[in-house]
Amino acid sequence: MNSNIRDQALIERCQRGDRKALEELVGHYEKPVFNAAYRILGNPDDAADATQVVFMKAFEHLGQYDPKYKFFSWIYRIAVNEAINQLKRGRNQQPLDDTEVAGTRGPDASAEAGDLSREIQEGLMQLTEDYRTVVVLRHFSECSYRQISDILQIPEKTVKSRLYSARQIMKDALQARGVH
Amino acid sequence: MVDERTLDLINADVDGELTPEQSQELDAILEASADARAMRAELLRLTNLLDNQPAVNPPADLAQNILQQIKWPEPAGSFSLAGLFSSFQPATAGLAFAAGLLATVSFYELAPDNSPGIDTAGMVGTMVANPENRGTDLADSLSFSEPGVTGSVSLQAGKDIFALEFNLDSSKEVEIEVAFAEAGLGFGGIAHAVIDHKAADESYEVSGGTLRVVNQGRQSFTVFLLNAASDGRGGKEINIVVSSGEVRVIAGVLRG
Repeated sequence: MNSNIRDQALIERCQRGDRKALEELVGHYEKPVFNAAYRILGNPDDAADATQVVFMKAFEHLGQYDPKYKFFSWIYRIAVNEAINQLKRGRNQQPLDDTEVAGTRGPDASAEAGDLSREIQEGLMQLTEDYRTVVVLRHFSECSYRQISDILQIPEKTVKSRLYSARQIMKDALQARGVH
Repeated sequence: MVDERTLDLINADVDGELTPEQSQELDAILEASADARAMRAELLRLTNLLDNQPAVNPPADLAQNILQQIKWPEPAGSFSLAGLFSSFQPATAGLAFAAGLLATVSFYELAPDNSPGIDTAGMVGTMVANPENRGTDLADSLSFSEPGVTGSVSLQAGKDIFALEFNLDSSKEVEIEVAFAEAGLGFGGIAHAVIDHKAADESYEVSGGTLRVVNQGRQSFTVFLLNAASDGRGGKEINIVVSSGEVRVIAGVLRG
């Protein structure tokens, strides 16, 4: 089933009070929302907090969701806004802890892969929020230019401009660290 | 050095966003420019690095925490009959009964298995108390969204009673078949919440161990099935078919 049709059916069931539909929606979007928040915030604990808030807000405002638009765009928009709000509230001022990134990768992840992941995350954190958000949506959430434009409600031209500049900055930052 | 146009084309290329014409244009540039080729190779290395980062696993209890913290909104313009039924314990019987009356629920007990079609228009009945130890839990559900017909069916399973809650919205006439006898169940009745339907098009019929409901519009009703064999909860498979004209919208099995 097309994911958008599936989501619409689940939302209708949620609105009728079907808790199992809510569980299914959370099951489908928990990991992608958490990952987007984690890449923007750089900290798994903050990402988990943000993910909880995202779902609470989404279901609190489910009646305002317009089915003309894709649910994933709507919930990603809430996720990005929440992550950026958390950053602005200064809840993410601690420096990135090596063990936090490595610890979230699962027990079978190699130390080398953990190092690379940490370097990439640190490179991301050097970007401004606007730049980091487009990189996260493009490369970690696999969104197209059009989808990023819908989520962030900015023109595609702006998406491209931010993405190209952000990647240049990341490339330089990673090269300076000997990663790229 | 590469110019801005080339840089844009290379970036769009690594993102898979080039049109065929732009792709041809970039191929020509790459063939002629070593700088452009080097730039593209560098960008590809970076994007491959980013794209191949594994997804991070959220904390194991995150979904549970989310579900616990979500305040369930009151459904607008509808209510769960099966939920009402499952909450019908002696201590809350008075409240639930009042809620049932306010919601103008019609409840029927159709005794004979081969009853003819029943005209439900205007019927108002009484709720029956759910005896102790007959609580029901959501066991399974199906949802569908097809042109002209959307909706869901959820199965609440109890020790000796099963409730199938239908929520449908159809712009055309649909027929719902519930094959309860082959699941070892007996027919217990229907509770029907009128939302917005065409009563003239509505009929219910029970024959040959199958319930057939024909309806159109926005509707919510619950079918109660009894576990006559008293063999305990679980292991029941109820086949449900929703059709519109000659077209099957959904044919599925609910397990409880």
